[in-house]
Amino acid sequence: MSKTCFEKTQPGQHAYSMSRSDSEFDCFLPPLRLLRKNELMLPEMSEIDITRHFCELAAKNVGIDNEFYPLGSCTMKFNPRVNEQCSALPGFSSGHPLAPEEMVQGNLQIIFELVEMLCALCGMEAGSLLPCAGAHGEYTGIKMISAYHSSRGDHQRSEILIPDDAHGTNPATASMAGYRAISIHTNVKGEVDLDHLRQMASERTAALMLTNPNTLGLFNSQIRDIAEIIHGQGGMLYYDGANLNAILNVVKPGEMGFDVMHLNLHKTFSTPHGGGGPGSGPVLCNEKLAKFLPIPRVEKDGNHFKMSWKDVSSIGQICSFHGNFAIYLRAYLYAKLHGNYGLRRIAENAVLNANYLKSKLIQFFTIPYSQSCMHEFVIQADNYLDKGIKALDIAKRLLDYGMHAPTIYFPLIVKECMLVEPTEVESKATLDQFVEAMAAIIEEIQQDPELVRTAPHKTPVSRLDEVLAAKKPILKAQLK
Amino acid sequence: MDFISNQKAQVNAMLEAIGAGSIEELFASIPQNLKHRAPHRDDGLSESEGVILMEEIAAKNTFSSYESYLGAGAYEHYLPAVIGFICSKSEFLTAYTPYQPEASQGMLQATFEFQSAICALTGMDVSNASLYDGATACAEAMLMALRYQKERNKVVIASSLHPHYFSVVKQFLSSHGTLIERIPFDKDGSLDRAKAEALIDDQTSAVLLPYPSFFGVIDEIKQISAKAKACGSLMVVCANPLVYGLYASAEEIGADIAVGDIQPLGLPLQFGGPYCGYMACRQDLVRQMPGRIVGETIDAEGKRGFVLTLQAREQHIRREKATSNICTNQALAALASLVCMLWYGRQGLRELALTNYQRTAYLRHRLGQLPGVVLMGNAPFFNEFALSFGYSGAEAFEHFRHRGIEPGLDLGKYYPEFNGYLLVAVTETKTKGMLDRYIQVASELMVRK
Repeated sequence: MSKTCFEKTQPGQHAYSMSRSDSEFDCFLPPLRLLRKNELMLPEMSEIDITRHFCELAAKNVGIDNEFYPLGSCTMKFNPRVNEQCSALPGFSSGHPLAPEEMVQGNLQIIFELVEMLCALCGMEAGSLLPCAGAHGEYTGIKMISAYHSSRGDHQRSEILIPDDAHGTNPATASMAGYRAISIHTNVKGEVDLDHLRQMASERTAALMLTNPNTLGLFNSQIRDIAEIIHGQGGMLYYDGANLNAILNVVKPGEMGFDVMHLNLHKTFSTPHGGGGPGSGPVLCNEKLAKFLPIPRVEKDGNHFKMSWKDVSSIGQICSFHGNFAIYLRAYLYAKLHGNYGLRRIAENAVLNANYLKSKLIQFFTIPYSQSCMHEFVIQADNYLDKGIKALDIAKRLLDYGMHAPTIYFPLIVKECMLVEPTEVESKATLDQFVEAMAAIIEEIQQDPELVRTAPHKTPVSRLDEVLAAKKPILKAQLK
Repeated sequence: MDFISNQKAQVNAMLEAIGAGSIEELFASIPQNLKHRAPHRDDGLSESEGVILMEEIAAKNTFSSYESYLGAGAYEHYLPAVIGFICSKSEFLTAYTPYQPEASQGMLQATFEFQSAICALTGMDVSNASLYDGATACAEAMLMALRYQKERNKVVIASSLHPHYFSVVKQFLSSHGTLIERIPFDKDGSLDRAKAEALIDDQTSAVLLPYPSFFGVIDEIKQISAKAKACGSLMVVCANPLVYGLYASAEEIGADIAVGDIQPLGLPLQFGGPYCGYMACRQDLVRQMPGRIVGETIDAEGKRGFVLTLQAREQHIRREKATSNICTNQALAALASLVCMLWYGRQGLRELALTNYQRTAYLRHRLGQLPGVVLMGNAPFFNEFALSFGYSGAEAFEHFRHRGIEPGLDLGKYYPEFNGYLLVAVTETKTKGMLDRYIQVASELMVRK
């Protein structure tokens, strides 16, 4: 067990150093009545102890640099260090967000060109890099759809249709933007149930939110029909770009019929996920929705880039300044390094790796959708329930084999679901090791199911009691 | 270039195992008329070409050659070197959200400690694991208050809140038909407390006040809090977190929810992001809180560990009934600020805040002595203040920039009533020499008049 830094406090110790004051500064003191009275209860630690503390914590965490991380729907691919190096260049890291535009031409160039590149890649007309994450992009896109309908005097649209295999963020976004989320069935082939969609689509439909390939890792080949149904009712089509990795430079959301979309640069464009964020969730749209994009926007005037803060049609601002600049800056370089050629190779190899892994795992599990998958696939890990072993147990045991587990129990429509996404970067040897680990676990299930049921055994802690955490919440440390 | 491991030999072996003749076959489910051909020409760059490109673009940013006094929600502070070292460790940098807690104890514990540090700073009971930025944290706090008392649908917001933050709040509330009332400010930039109290009533869900305000003013919030409490409204204070090193904590001034942007504590300016929103609140509000929260628990052997908890609030469980749609947050930025808070510690943060205050006070005082300079007023302040040189914004800016100084923010752009005023921020990064140079350049400007 690691002590918290609050338990490591040693009275009087500290790490900081402060520039010398000046007698001409010292005479200024703020009004006493407004000052803080309660002690600031932060730990007292020296720099060596702080450093060791975080090295100790790092040793209890794994990232894509440490091990294979086939977390479905999360696209855990390699994060090139050159992106880190370039994003730390002082010219980028020291820029103030309200600096005059002539002093930040480089930053504006990055924004303008990245929007252009992403639009070309996705078959869209215009875009904004302001959203800080995928869900933030969803919110922005849905607000743009809302503004579009309002601008046409179309105020009756109160519903957003969302397939039942969608990410939880989709329905949550719909609610946050003031809509009712309507769930659409997925058929036995793993695609949107068109009959149900026709039944639910109406003049109340503001939009359909769709991930394609979907969260089962399947490309919805009826996408043009879906678009026709929704557009026929006057609704808009929203593309959740979480799974864009599979189709880079193969097929474009704009050409599938989508009107507005977001991308997750921390997935497809390899910006590091940082243990939960920051990400970046640019929103792109077609001509119809362009004027509703949030502000500020960057425009090009000859060789000069300028920032525009005023547009009466815009939905307005969605974040403090310019979004997660240092994150989408990394994505810019990633896109430049690959070029269109390299981006296509990403899609091809992501799909190849997923299909290979699937072809190997079919010997151990039910694979509910047997057709070729895209960049990820689902396993129905219910084959060992008679031994008392669930998907959760297998996932935990994988950790003991030095591999991160796939996403489990999502999408919700597959029993004992495991969603596996190997990404394009992994070698065949790594995928084979994963298959070997699975084979070993299946063997253990036959010989000693208790070993699997109580896994993990080699991690810094054994299986954690999540129910207790929610029942008796302890949400902060106490100072020693 | 790319980062793909497999080459021809492996690709062929894999295709054989799959039983496919080509990679192309695997894309059969995509309708032919939608599919693009693979590009023939490799138009990518080598790593070294990429670096050259980025260096060229970075060089087009000339901002760092100026001594800058810009603040307005983003502050230049010294960044202790240890922050970058810790945040670039693979185990933190390249991990996903801790969905498998047994393999993510490091980040979970660090986040738990971040929550604890935010509670210490603000004096509040509980904190979440972060939100996108200061503006969205304000917006989420408003939505949280509206959920807490569903029958109320009005919020009262200071006009001296950062205008960007207000825009975002308005944006988030626009889908909910909420009535927004704004508290005016006096000529000296401080809030009109009588008007504030008059606006708060039993229909008011929340009151949102800045600390300090956009003009740098430290308002006397306690009295307004008392009125809010009497009306059963939630008091939301949006603060520069560094202010708590010196001035009364959110808890001491009567806040129910404390929000803001953690940027001044450990994050570079980097053109506005990533920054990191923080949110802390009273214990009884925790189930309405948006975003991830880390909690302590035990493992099968009774050993302490950490997990994401109270997840019944979140989108992946509750879907359309979630408290927010937020999923990915600003975890690594929160880690950076935790390291920064530990590096300064309780004594250092106090000294840092006082240093910021004193250097600001010095510059403000000396400029105020120059004939023709008008300070916005004499209200208490922290590390930012507003003044007018009696010139139009453009003239004063040109004079300073010509001498290598970016003198502050043109306030008139945001508040026409303060046309000609500059908002000037001073932090510990400004030496006495730099401040004296600012004063010298200002006095030359005033002489010209």
